[in-house]
Amino acid sequence: MTTDLGAIRSGADVPVGSPLLEVENLIMRYQVKQGEVSAVEDVNFTLHKGEALGLVGESGCGKSSIALSLLRLQAENGEIVNGEVRLAGTNLVELSEEEMRRHRWNEMSMVFQGAMNTWNPVHRISDQIKEALDIHWPEQLSKADVRYRIAELFQTVGLNPDMMDRYPHEFSGGMRQRAVIAMALSCNPQIIIADEPTTALDVIVQDLILKELKRIQEELGMSIIYISHDLAVIAEVTDSMAVMYAGKIVEYGTTKTIFGGMRHPYAWLLLSSTPSITGPRRKLAPLEGEPPNLLDPPSGCRFNPRCPFATDRCHEEEPPLEDIGDGHLVACWNWEKVPVGVQAGDVL
Amino acid sequence: MTHPVVRVSELEKRFPVQKSVFRKATDFVHALDGISFDIPPGGSLGLVGESGCGKTTTGRILLKLLESTGGQVLIEKDGEPVDITAITAKDDLKDFRSRAQMIFQDPFESMNPRRTIYDTISEPLTVQNIGSVAEREVRVAELLQLVGLTPPESFIFRYPHELSGGQRQRVAIARALVVDPTFVVADEPTSMLDVSIRISIMDLMLKLGQDLNVSYLYITHDLAVARYMCDRIAVMYLGKIVELAPTEELLANPRHPYTKALISAVPVPDPTIERPPVEIKGGISRSINPQARCRFYDRCPFAREDPCNTNDHPPLDQVGEDHWAACYLVEEIASGAAVADTGDDRSPEPANSRDRSRT
Repeated sequence: MTTDLGAIRSGADVPVGSPLLEVENLIMRYQVKQGEVSAVEDVNFTLHKGEALGLVGESGCGKSSIALSLLRLQAENGEIVNGEVRLAGTNLVELSEEEMRRHRWNEMSMVFQGAMNTWNPVHRISDQIKEALDIHWPEQLSKADVRYRIAELFQTVGLNPDMMDRYPHEFSGGMRQRAVIAMALSCNPQIIIADEPTTALDVIVQDLILKELKRIQEELGMSIIYISHDLAVIAEVTDSMAVMYAGKIVEYGTTKTIFGGMRHPYAWLLLSSTPSITGPRRKLAPLEGEPPNLLDPPSGCRFNPRCPFATDRCHEEEPPLEDIGDGHLVACWNWEKVPVGVQAGDVL
Repeated sequence: MTHPVVRVSELEKRFPVQKSVFRKATDFVHALDGISFDIPPGGSLGLVGESGCGKTTTGRILLKLLESTGGQVLIEKDGEPVDITAITAKDDLKDFRSRAQMIFQDPFESMNPRRTIYDTISEPLTVQNIGSVAEREVRVAELLQLVGLTPPESFIFRYPHELSGGQRQRVAIARALVVDPTFVVADEPTSMLDVSIRISIMDLMLKLGQDLNVSYLYITHDLAVARYMCDRIAVMYLGKIVELAPTEELLANPRHPYTKALISAVPVPDPTIERPPVEIKGGISRSINPQARCRFYDRCPFAREDPCNTNDHPPLDQVGEDHWAACYLVEEIASGAAVADTGDDRSPEPANSRDRSRT
């Protein structure tokens, strides 16, 4: 079976550790009856080859919207207003729909949120993965090649290839999620976007799936973008991470640096309000208030209504995402006030 | 001597597996298989386990939303235990519901969208025939104040869709507490909420539990949440309680291999900490007509033919001060004499793929 895909596989030549996907000044907005929702606002990040990047934030912070924009799969009322998404140098935003379609799955694929529950119950798993290969594999594959490929994929994700002709109901939740990952891997992409890949799973199964993804990332030199609301998951699987709030990245850097001392008040409070089973039992600090309405975001810093450190400047001027040293980027006027090594429950 | 508010003994629930409408069921799902626990006044017990272990079934039986098929549930009334499984009269049931209430998981599904917050919270009062309309209004306003929906007049006549998830869950708490219950079952009350909202709801439940002397049965899949909310934790596996201990003792010193696996599988929000490997084998056991052996046999890394397979499921024995575990090998595992066999660490969870050939 040939896997030489020529021009489409431009990302394959990128050496491990070099920039593979560069997102610059990305702005995505949804048009709704009441006006315009700024879901993704001026987002910048770089994904290196072989790297795992985490986007973390609460519901409505724009993390899934970013993922969909990267593949240009955002809902019909969503529009990329500005910015570039460069995949090994090619700006995906400027491609025609047909060109974009060829990049999808071959270079960048996605594990959608809740995808394990979207298998069609009346078709065999193998037939459903075959469909992805039929549509996206750049050349016609013979029936035997398809089955060989699916067997290979099943093995990659730790499923028994003998089970490929079974129906979704014969699989447990964890197995269905493995099959979803197999489908995302079907066309040998360079990048997988995993949107809440383990959210509906029990902890023991979650542990297995995350280990599997980690292994795939390392063995195949894959780059993965993890999207999650769970800081603990992000801490375990990613190399670098971005914390999002109300459509913007508020803190960005390597995972070790950020967990070494979060300097954006939102990130710091989010970690302080995450219960843990390790360390001493302590008081958790609640984040007061609710996330802003993105139809009419607050002026200045979008976090200012909920921020315990907010000053007058925060209400007027929007803080830029600035390097505070060692590639640790923070968008806050008062980041120096955020205590390091202390959790909010102890001080607030 | 004070009675426990709740005393459950040998509770059992079997669901028939109906193969045909015309045939009597011969197969049963053993959803609960003889579980026992106490909850003292003002205490909180966390029921933890994976989906399908029977934790929600337990909660529903304790509130008589489901009938048990065996065992006893004693719930305190005016200082005396009353067996609620024996309640049949409608009035007695109504009386029972004034003492025990529930907070459901999904604040979006558990409220009637056509009824105002006032209607929702005052419904238990209407059912119980407590107070006049004017008095109910005062009581509802009082509860809105209590759960932090202030000022009450700006919430009382609104509809659920006008509220956020966190606010709705506050309404659900108010509805449960309006009749002054002594016992509340909370079934994953915060799992649908964002992290930042979750803490304020958990703090509210803790505070009200203390102020109003409410006992909680807190059902959750999340050990970290159970740690924050509960004095004691019971770990369930396939209809059995496999370990029961005070929260910190259970987390610091787990004795059952399943509890150990569960604890080591929880991700830690600190990239510098390397978790111990999860010692568990693939293959979940069946809960339909289960074999007479340890329920955890298939997945247990320490399991041996004798005694684990040859005997029935082990009893919940005392292994420390107020610490109970159901495992034949507790002592051997503690002393290091038992050997763990996790097999292929990539083996997925279901049993039917264990014969998988790998290249």
